[in-house]
Amino acid sequence: MVGAILMKKFILIYLISHSLLIANEYAIVANKSIHEASLGQIKALFLKKSSYIKNKKVVPVNLSSRNPIRIHFEKHILHMSFNRLKSYWTKQHYLGHRPPISMKSQKSIKTFIKKVDGSIGYMELKNVDDELSILYKWSE
Amino acid sequence: MKYFIILILFITILFAEDTITNQEQSYQLGNGMQVGELPLYVGGYFSLDYRYKDGENRYRIDDIAFLAYGGYEKISYMAELEYKEFYTLSEKDDAYTTQKDTRLHTERLYGDYNFNENYMLRLGKFNSQIGFWNLLPINVLRDTSSNPYTTDIIFPRFTTGLYAAYNSYNNAEIQIDLTIQHNEDLDPSYNNYTMDEHHSLGTTYTQENISLKASIGMFDKYTSTNTTQVLYYALVSLKYETEKFQFMSELGSQKSTQEYTTPYAFFAQGVYHLNQEHAGIIRLESYEDKVQNTQDNIAIFGYTYRPLYPIAFKTEYQFHKLQNENQFLFSWSVLF
Repeated sequence: MVGAILMKKFILIYLISHSLLIANEYAIVANKSIHEASLGQIKALFLKKSSYIKNKKVVPVNLSSRNPIRIHFEKHILHMSFNRLKSYWTKQHYLGHRPPISMKSQKSIKTFIKKVDGSIGYMELKNVDDELSILYKWSE
Repeated sequence: MKYFIILILFITILFAEDTITNQEQSYQLGNGMQVGELPLYVGGYFSLDYRYKDGENRYRIDDIAFLAYGGYEKISYMAELEYKEFYTLSEKDDAYTTQKDTRLHTERLYGDYNFNENYMLRLGKFNSQIGFWNLLPINVLRDTSSNPYTTDIIFPRFTTGLYAAYNSYNNAEIQIDLTIQHNEDLDPSYNNYTMDEHHSLGTTYTQENISLKASIGMFDKYTSTNTTQVLYYALVSLKYETEKFQFMSELGSQKSTQEYTTPYAFFAQGVYHLNQEHAGIIRLESYEDKVQNTQDNIAIFGYTYRPLYPIAFKTEYQFHKLQNENQFLFSWSVLF
């Protein structure tokens, strides 16, 4: 009886630690010209409430709309669902604001951010290298 | 009436097909489109509505509007031209009347200069940045066909002048804004008040899903006797928004140098999204207007169907304390 309970606990601990070990990690990254930004500033940039960090013009870049990493970013950083963002951008059209440009792959975003001054995007942490500034990290 | 409904359904399906068959990079309904590679995006919206009130049927092509906007570096611009109450057909006791207004009004025309993350300046004609409702006042973006009385009697809906804002984006968003008008309205026929002076000061605080806003101001209202009357106003607003539910409330008051012209005007509205397409709305309103010598309490029950977000079919029924003011409204509106 005691052995069975211990075995259940062991399996539970193993499953939790395993899920933590394989949890995906993500990062909000920027061109080397940007060194820091708060989550509030990042949210404002991707919702086009602002186009600057202090005095620097910033170019936010999204992955394509159905990309799982983008959906994850929108849920955890912007705190908005796909449908809520659709209605948000329709309202922004009336206000004269356009959504950020989007790219198909993390590779394209990485190349773009390295080349374009003031650009900012997000990707899996494993794809980040020393030529990018990491502004924020989070995991599933 | 039959052909009217067929036309509505046909155009709706046509637009729906457009959005479904095209991918992200191409035109999507409700997002406008870019003209070539120019910093110019164009779009627009329209709305048709029907009202039954006190034995009268009213059919109306209300709004037909065109938008053009864009930006380069620190400068951006917005132009909105609109036909308002373009065509109205009313019927009561088998007597028909029609009205047309074919003037193209300047609803908004302004340029923005963004200094940096914190400061921006606007020059031109724009929606007065007072309260939350008045920022997105067009039919298709509202949850009901009607506007609350609060948004029509307390302050000028449009301002022609300067607007300056300070924004801070950290754990909470803070905005402080200032409006100054000291000139004629760019299009005096398209405003709820005729005036040549308007000053306002406001502040907004947003934390996650909750936003609070307070505005105070004064303006010079032209009266029918060609004199002006100085009016002061204050408005406080609250907005709470989640995926399923939205609550918005505004409370305002207006006074002249002698007396309260509107001692109070209030509304509270709840919207529950059953899913992406269907929403139920309840709005309660109350106001006292001493200029018109009226006091009313209103309860509004509405339902909105959006096959796509930029297309809205709305119905509502209004119960008024005032006699003969109960009414049924239906509208169809599209943003393109």
